[in-house]
Amino acid sequence: MAFLGNFALLLAFALSVYCFGAGLLALLSPDEPSSQRLSETARRAGIVVFGAVFLAAVALVVSAFRDDFTIAYIFHHSNRDLPTPYKFATLWSGQEGSILFWCLLLSAYAFVLRLRYKTDPRLFAYASVVVAGVQIFFLALVNFAANPFGLLEGPLRPDGSGLNPLLQYPEMVIHPPMLYLGYVGFTVPFAFALGALIMKYPGEKWIHITRRWTMVTWGFLTCGIFLGSHWAYSVLGWGGYWGWDPVENASLMPWLVGTAFLHSVMMQEKRGMLKVWNMWLVFACFWLAILGTFLTRSGIISSVHAFAQSSIGSWFAWFLGITFAVFIFFFVLNHKHLRSENKLEGMISRESSFLFNNLLFLLLTLDVLWGTWFPKISELVQGNKVTVGAPFYNRVAIPVALILLLLTALGPLLAWRKTSFESLKRNFTWPCVAALIVGLFVMLTPTSWGSIFGLKPWHDVSYFYSLMTIVLSVLVAFTVGSEFYRGGRVIAEKTGQGMFASMVQLTHRNTRRYGGYIVHFGVVLVMIGFSGSALNQDKEAELGYGDHMQIGSYDLVCRSYTQDDNANQETEWALMDVYQNGQLVRTMTPQRIFYKASQQASTKPDIDQGFKEDLYLVYEGQNDKGQPVIKAHLNPMVIWIWIGAWVMIIGTGLALVENAPVPVTVRVPRMMEHAAPVAGD
Amino acid sequence: MILAIVCAALITAASLFYIFYLPGELYLGPEKTRASYLRERKDVVYENLRDLNFEYRAGKVPDADYQSLKANLQDEAAGLLAEIARLESGAIPAPRKARS
Repeated sequence: MAFLGNFALLLAFALSVYCFGAGLLALLSPDEPSSQRLSETARRAGIVVFGAVFLAAVALVVSAFRDDFTIAYIFHHSNRDLPTPYKFATLWSGQEGSILFWCLLLSAYAFVLRLRYKTDPRLFAYASVVVAGVQIFFLALVNFAANPFGLLEGPLRPDGSGLNPLLQYPEMVIHPPMLYLGYVGFTVPFAFALGALIMKYPGEKWIHITRRWTMVTWGFLTCGIFLGSHWAYSVLGWGGYWGWDPVENASLMPWLVGTAFLHSVMMQEKRGMLKVWNMWLVFACFWLAILGTFLTRSGIISSVHAFAQSSIGSWFAWFLGITFAVFIFFFVLNHKHLRSENKLEGMISRESSFLFNNLLFLLLTLDVLWGTWFPKISELVQGNKVTVGAPFYNRVAIPVALILLLLTALGPLLAWRKTSFESLKRNFTWPCVAALIVGLFVMLTPTSWGSIFGLKPWHDVSYFYSLMTIVLSVLVAFTVGSEFYRGGRVIAEKTGQGMFASMVQLTHRNTRRYGGYIVHFGVVLVMIGFSGSALNQDKEAELGYGDHMQIGSYDLVCRSYTQDDNANQETEWALMDVYQNGQLVRTMTPQRIFYKASQQASTKPDIDQGFKEDLYLVYEGQNDKGQPVIKAHLNPMVIWIWIGAWVMIIGTGLALVENAPVPVTVRVPRMMEHAAPVAGD
Repeated sequence: MILAIVCAALITAASLFYIFYLPGELYLGPEKTRASYLRERKDVVYENLRDLNFEYRAGKVPDADYQSLKANLQDEAAGLLAEIARLESGAIPAPRKARS
């Protein structure tokens, strides 16, 4: 298998070099009679790269299933008794394998791109060459610096060291692929953008193509980030879902820039504006995705996720430098081609709201970037590492997120070009009233209701932020709802259908817009989930048999401790009876697991999820006195984060569906009566 | 090991055959011209007009705003159509075919 894997990787590398070289040659000499055929061979070579990388990945997975410990990577990341799904996860659980996995996903994206070349052969030829350039880098890395098929030195071992215990969790089989699909996917929009810049592509069609790819990528990244948060919440046992860890930040930065791009791209499509800005946003998405990979691989910044320090960090540093230089070169050369076709006509308009939204996303990205790199910068300047925590990020992120939420409510109500105050008043009054009523209700309800009820914003600034989040979320929900209602009403009047059927038809007519609104609604739910964090409670206690512990309205009683043993792990768990108002409501079993192959211990919290709050128990093991220690967290509203994430993903999927045809016509301007009619309302 | 070498040789041969054996004509697509770019813009402006009409009927845009925005978009569409008419003397360029 090692031979076959190495052969496949070398073949993929050689073909990528050919794809890049032949493709470039064909683009440089378009008038040569043989250039079209040369370009076609380059495209086909690119297609075969996918097959070769796929073969290498299969070889590695088969090696894991066959417990082939002659391969060093398999020895270090698997063992004989590892459950089957985690043997698949071996592919991305270590440095060499995850780079191979990166190559596989990039090749898969490139494969689809090269198959769809008929959309616009010349633009796709440029994009294919750019992607091939990126493929060369990653395949060189996997062939010459981080080879997953390297053989183990010394005598053959009877068993492997096992998979990292933190990765032995079902979500870990999906989370890395999703995140990688997000990271890797930004290569494609970047390739189209750079291709369009180099060839001075006339028009905005390239951005239409890019937008769809970006939406797919953004959807995967969203999914990956939330799966990662859910994994952190369910496995790491610290009671939270986001720790502002550098690796978490690494995934957040391209997501933020990608979100900004998905909004500003509409200005280019509809109004021919922000061309330079969008070009930079696409480049920033790609560059930040690579920077994130550099962070995790170089060991330059400490993180709970980061792989051990290795020599491949310098490869990434060079690659980041080269891509930046190439982009700058072509930008300086061809930036005049990116001149805006229109100017901002009104300060209150859809354009200005997008512009402001973009600036806020950029500010948020810079905040995260600064905080992530601050330990390294402080080390260079002062000689000692200063790490920044949640308060540093939250100081900027929370107010910015609140303003973004306000813009999410405002944006859909603003017209393109300019909006009058009368229009604003007409659309905004009722949602504002509804949001204020909900805000007052949350504030005036008794605290004894628990969760977010009875929030008194004057007690603490975090309560103020929570209340504002709820009020603005309700405002967004009402504006989104009113968009569906008003649109549905027009269709219902015209077709005589029921309101729900009309709203479905409305969504199908403009999937991008209404799918986007559903994403906004998902964001609202996520934000409501975040708002609960201001009211989190936690307690820790030594609990012997029959001992009690009180948290919120719950009384926790330790019934007993028990153990289990199998070939892969030893498990010890606590049996905790949970009482509420004197009634036994459930029994919870937080666990502590010892993995035999890796000789590492890990906790597995037990979480009782509810719409109001989560009761989260962690069995922390025995303390110095031999007493078992239980930690309890009461986290309000967390479930809404996961529900919101699902809604966001459904909305993204919906936005990718083709629009249904609209069977009506637009009146053609009088002066051009001979023009063809088009579909419209 | 011999089996693995034979497999590798077969894969290489099949890959080279697929890459370099190119019978028939190649699809090159239509040439992108200024006129085709303007037609794309025209479609976008029409779509904007359609959106505006819909929002007006949904009661989102007041009458005065609607008339002014519609007039702007119609002017833009008229300008595009005029330029397309100037550029277009014949039909849209047919897809290019390469010699095999």
